[in-house]
Amino acid sequence: MSEEVKSENKIKRSASSRTRTRKPKRSQIPIGIAVLLIVIAIGVLLTIKSVNLGIFWFIGIIFGFILQRSRFCFTAALRDPSLTGGTSLTKAVLLAFAITSIGFTAIKYGAFIKGLPIPGQGFIAPVSFGTVIGAFMFGIGMVIAGGCASGTLMRVGEGFTMLMITLLFFIVGSLLGAYNYGWWKLNVILKGEPIFLPDIFGWAGAIILQLLFIGVLYLAADKWEKRKNNIK
Amino acid sequence: MKEVVLECYGEACPIPLVKAQKKIEELDAGDILIVQIDHSCAMKNLPEWARKDGHNVEVDEIDDGEWEVIIEKVV
Repeated sequence: MSEEVKSENKIKRSASSRTRTRKPKRSQIPIGIAVLLIVIAIGVLLTIKSVNLGIFWFIGIIFGFILQRSRFCFTAALRDPSLTGGTSLTKAVLLAFAITSIGFTAIKYGAFIKGLPIPGQGFIAPVSFGTVIGAFMFGIGMVIAGGCASGTLMRVGEGFTMLMITLLFFIVGSLLGAYNYGWWKLNVILKGEPIFLPDIFGWAGAIILQLLFIGVLYLAADKWEKRKNNIK
Repeated sequence: MKEVVLECYGEACPIPLVKAQKKIEELDAGDILIVQIDHSCAMKNLPEWARKDGHNVEVDEIDDGEWEVIIEKVV
């Protein structure tokens, strides 16, 4: 950040606009330390009550911290390629998918070779027309609202007021979705077939295929960025 | 040489970006566009777009969570 400012500190602005809004900044470090202590205290209290609650608390906090600091944004990953031609976040999301693919395969395969029940198999939902409808609705919603689910929560925590309205309707939408889920499940979702790639391609085949697919998307994103910006 | 201030406080991305893109089209080379934002996400995509577009960009944190993105139109 500071190096950025130094290297490009050559734009001459009128003196009036430069001094206008400048206020002395207060150090946030004491507040930061206080919040950290409160977070740890709540974490300890939750862990005493239930270890799982404590784990959820800390993972949630770490998740939010990384999301905020990295400005990682699933919305921008899918929106920026057409809006700005930038695909840096798209590539970041693809990398994250690649890493989690390897991680999940390791967890599932680890359980499989030990003869244990494979964790998370209950989450393999059928691929149906519902996937298409849901993805389309969610995609439009998140671009208009300015954030996907995790992004909305992160920005509310950051103190961005507009996303609080988004959060309200995010809850309304979730409740409506849950209320109507029975109909969707009966009429749309169950018409599809649940697919677990290792059942079809074998464990090695599934992970290789998935990584290849992600790799192709990565290269496509890279090419798209260069074409959109006419980089020689 | 003109200097235009675009106030985008309270607006979520991509609104500040779209507004800046439209505004910069109206300006001539050498003009300066100052976009005021308080959305950390716009802090990322605004400078990224402006640099790719070939403009000079400077980011100034004027207050906690408030930034001015200063864009000097080059082409």
